[in-house]
Amino acid sequence: MSSARYIKNEKDQILDVILESGIHVKPVYTPKDLEEIGFSYEEDLGDPGKYPFTRGIHPLGYRSRAWTTRQYTGFGTPKETNERFKFMISHGQTGLNVAFDLPTQMGYDSDDPMAEGEVGRVGMAVDTIRDFEIAFEGIALDRIGVGLTINAVASIILAMFQAVAEKYGYDPKTVSATPQNDILKEMIGRGAWIFPVEHGVRLVGDIIEYSMKVMPKTNPVSVCGYHIRESGATPAQEIAYAFLIAFAYIDNVCKRGYDPDEFVGGITFNFNVFGNMWEQIAKFRAARKLWARLLRERYNVKKERNLFLRGIFGGGGYGLTKAQPENNIVRGAYYALVAALSGAQTTALCSYDEAYTIPTPHSALISLRTLQILMDEAGLRDTVDPLAGSYFIETLTKQMEEKILEEMEKIEKYGGIIKAVSEGYIQRMLARQAYEIERAIERGELLKVGVNIYVEGEPKEVQLHEYNEESARMQIESLREIRRTRSSSEVKRTLKELEKATRDGKNVMPYLLECCKAYCTLGEMTNVFREIFGEFQEPSLF
Amino acid sequence: MEEKRIKVLIAKPGLDGHDRGAKVIALALKEAGMEVVYSGLHKTIDQIVNMAIQEDVDVIGLSIMSGAHIPLTRKLMEKLKEKGIQDKKVFVGGVIPSKDIKLLKEMGVEGVFPGGTPIDDVIEAIKASVKK
Amino acid sequence: MDPKAQELAERIISGDETVAARVISMIEDGEEEGFLVLSTLYPRTGGAFKIGITGSPGAGKSSIIDRLAYLYGKSGKKIGIIAIDPTSVKSKGAFFGDRLRFKSAEKVEGVFIRSMAHRGFSGGISKAAFGAECVLDALGKDIIIVESVGVGQTELSIYLISDIVVTVFTPDFGDEIQLMKAGLLEIGDVVVMNKMDMPNAEEKAKDLIAYIGDLKKDAPPFIKCSAKKGEGIELLLEVLEEKRREKLGMRREKVKALLLTFIKEELSRGIEKMVEEDPKFNEILHSVQSGKIDPYSASVHFVSELLKDGKMEDYKWRRKG
Ligand code: B12
Ligand SMILES: Nc1nc2c(ncn2[C@@H]2O[C@H](COP(=O)(O)OP(=O)(O)O)[C@@H](O)[C@H]2O)c(=O)[nH]1
Ligand SMILES: [Mg+2]
Repeated sequence: MSSARYIKNEKDQILDVILESGIHVKPVYTPKDLEEIGFSYEEDLGDPGKYPFTRGIHPLGYRSRAWTTRQYTGFGTPKETNERFKFMISHGQTGLNVAFDLPTQMGYDSDDPMAEGEVGRVGMAVDTIRDFEIAFEGIALDRIGVGLTINAVASIILAMFQAVAEKYGYDPKTVSATPQNDILKEMIGRGAWIFPVEHGVRLVGDIIEYSMKVMPKTNPVSVCGYHIRESGATPAQEIAYAFLIAFAYIDNVCKRGYDPDEFVGGITFNFNVFGNMWEQIAKFRAARKLWARLLRERYNVKKERNLFLRGIFGGGGYGLTKAQPENNIVRGAYYALVAALSGAQTTALCSYDEAYTIPTPHSALISLRTLQILMDEAGLRDTVDPLAGSYFIETLTKQMEEKILEEMEKIEKYGGIIKAVSEGYIQRMLARQAYEIERAIERGELLKVGVNIYVEGEPKEVQLHEYNEESARMQIESLREIRRTRSSSEVKRTLKELEKATRDGKNVMPYLLECCKAYCTLGEMTNVFREIFGEFQEPSLF
Repeated sequence: MEEKRIKVLIAKPGLDGHDRGAKVIALALKEAGMEVVYSGLHKTIDQIVNMAIQEDVDVIGLSIMSGAHIPLTRKLMEKLKEKGIQDKKVFVGGVIPSKDIKLLKEMGVEGVFPGGTPIDDVIEAIKASVKK
Repeated sequence: MDPKAQELAERIISGDETVAARVISMIEDGEEEGFLVLSTLYPRTGGAFKIGITGSPGAGKSSIIDRLAYLYGKSGKKIGIIAIDPTSVKSKGAFFGDRLRFKSAEKVEGVFIRSMAHRGFSGGISKAAFGAECVLDALGKDIIIVESVGVGQTELSIYLISDIVVTVFTPDFGDEIQLMKAGLLEIGDVVVMNKMDMPNAEEKAKDLIAYIGDLKKDAPPFIKCSAKKGEGIELLLEVLEEKRREKLGMRREKVKALLLTFIKEELSRGIEKMVEEDPKFNEILHSVQSGKIDPYSASVHFVSELLKDGKMEDYKWRRKG
């Protein structure tokens, strides 16, 4: 999709290009542009692996290690999901990213009335650690990193993950999980929040604090600009808000008396790739540079490797269309190319059936192959940061840097990210932007192939993933079985202790771990929190 | 001035957290001169029916991206029937596979607007249905 | 008496929410039926205690109402909430955002929440708000809380339709001070400083108390609260109840002022509509436009003609359809 606006004359000649972040692109860039922005190789770029890491965090880039592929996977029962994990791994996928169903994300057990009709529908259903035992059966948890896309109840799910890893004989020190654990962006634009802001942030802090001690290879947070962008943010806003959110989490942990150098290395990011490709590439390069610089300036972080901006740069779903769905395969290829040119550590793509339903094995495999083609066939592993030195890219990178800082400043002026999120300042702005984007597409100001140009008639039917109600029934059955067979006194005892620890402001993780081992359900643990914390008040619109 | 204004409830039933489309539609209807109540996320069907009654809306619009549109809409239609409410038109938008459109209409849904629908089509359809 | 109106009125009195909601819409839309029902209901109203809440957007009006309604509700009272939002001048549409905030209120039995757009009516409420209050009163609500638009400088009408008015301030009340100085801000029967959980709040509260003290001899009660934490709301409720009896004594005065307001509204609207089509008006207008007669004299002349003709009688409720 053209996310940029093109000003043309009657002869279809382009007079101006305005990127989403507000930057005007010139027809030609020359050494003069670099001179104008005061470009310096040492200060603005540095060699790959050297501060400020604009060119990447590793000196040899993909030569030493190709990116990790991590298609978002999960549906139905843990057994079905386990099979799909193995299918993806057998085809060369190198990491996992678990999709949970909505009851799990919202802290409801599969037999809760609130879960009706939703169990296993858009992700894997999880009630107790039994489900994790099944889901990760036969997966080498010391070799395969596991992304857990879970936020409001990330603490519970991470505890389950640790319990299962231990059960399968892995030392928690060796397993690498990445719980998404970014509650503020849920409130901005993903909607799977439960508790009020301050309690939500406390739980994020608990996970960071706990991981640094018990699971040092785990990345306790993946701060998501991705979802903010999918809610209508510009690329500059995407990065700006993500950074501010990350700072809010860092502040929470610093208040507990830790030195940033002890934990900031565990903070990773999830950013989005769709829209004008140059703007995205410049965005990633600018983000890497800014992150390193801001950590140094604001937190006095000393260790070089703690300054790395690491994360997943994944193809965005909003760019994909319902019309002419096969075109999405091509779009995905371009998104992946952008991710590779930007030096992504980890990547994933939404599949061509994105606008219809969650992927089939067929569509997921096409996405995986797209990524593999880039690394193994097309030459993206040849050399690090191949675009460095381009008059255009370097100018744009510098301009993006400024735009990101501007957006950060706006929020800080408003009173900070916590205030802006609690009061809905950002949400209102994004909703308005989303509306304007939709109108601009309809007016043909933003071009979208198959949607407002080169339109065909009725869409072809694509083969789709079908929801299996039988899976939900089986999940509920298995949950009931566990409720019958577990020790109810252990359940009571561990929940009671969790409650006390939560009220006393202790780190909840060790208590959750005990609950998980006693086969407490996700819903039972969440209810302890609900009772004490209450619920987030969604800010009103407009 | 006293005159009939179209009043619409844009509701998010179930656990679905997607709100981009719902907010876009809410804003569009406001700009088109309607009075719009937005339910917020994670509402039960009972809450939605209650809001629709108290606000006396002409239209209940469900925005459902989670794939659970069939059970959720069915429950809404049953609840409306149970409460004897016949004068409110129901619209459904979101990720709705074309094969489900017929089923939803059979339940009594006035209009179904899947992703990719031009916003003005939604506005026109709501205006036309309230005039009826 | 209109039998249908009679029936609707009875259903409201017996507690039918659906009918109550419908009749409120009729009053909003200016349907004759609605006013027939209202006139049937009117003699049976007056039992509810009507609390108005005003203050700038974002001051926390809705959040306070949510807490207050919850407290009242828990003590067994039936609550009605009327939240008024602005109508967009450009599109005539409106967006109701307050309802999202009434999350705990929604949980108690017998809470009826209604959003209304002000539809261009002056003074921070909608014209139909008073009618809606009557309907909710007849529906059996003990407490009716009205949230004003909160954008205007003069939120005067809220005083006429409430027994007691609470004005909400926050620790950053700078703009309000300007309005107070200019005499544009009624200070209310009770003043609340919300968001006391914010830094410097205590200091700011002191400042505000001082300002108000300078402004008014018998300053209204001042309450510090945090709707976010739920602090100070019990006290607010106590004060409201304490002042209740005294305030109810002002109803006769208020209804007189309300009646006058409505008459002025009706008249000006009726005239506007009629005048456009009136040949005499067009004649006079022409004389003014061509410079033959000045607009002062023309207006006096025109009105006296109008009253003589008895033309005002032509103006009726807008009928449905
Ligand atoms: C953006 C997006 C997100 C964003 C949401 C941002 C936000 N604030 O809303 C993010 C990245 C956070 C997200 C997350 C998830 N998503 Co999502 N998301 C999308 C995506 C890419 C676009 C949706 C969108 O906003 N489009 C733009 C708006 C303007 O269009 P729209 O909503 O369709 O609305 C139009 C019409 O539907 C209609 N309309 C909408 N509502 C209403 C209401 C009425 C009354 C009317 C009349 C009309 C109407 O009018 C609009 C204009 O045409 C879709 C795929 C796609 N391309 O459609 C997946 C998609 C909806 N997501 C999906 C899933 C599964 C998820 C997750 C649940 C994944 C998971 N397991 O965690 C999460 C969790 C979210 C949650 N808490 O519920 C699935 C749903 C599968 C299904 N139904 O079977 C989809 C289809 C992708 C996929 N193929 O897997 N998502
Ligand atoms: N810090 C703080 N914020 C509050 C308090 N009360 C309300 N708010 C926030 O202020 C914003 C506006 O509140 P709202 O009740 O909608 O205000 P209204 O526009 O006056 O109705 C919301 O983001 C609330 O969460 C409070 O006591 N303390
Ligand atoms: Mg309000």
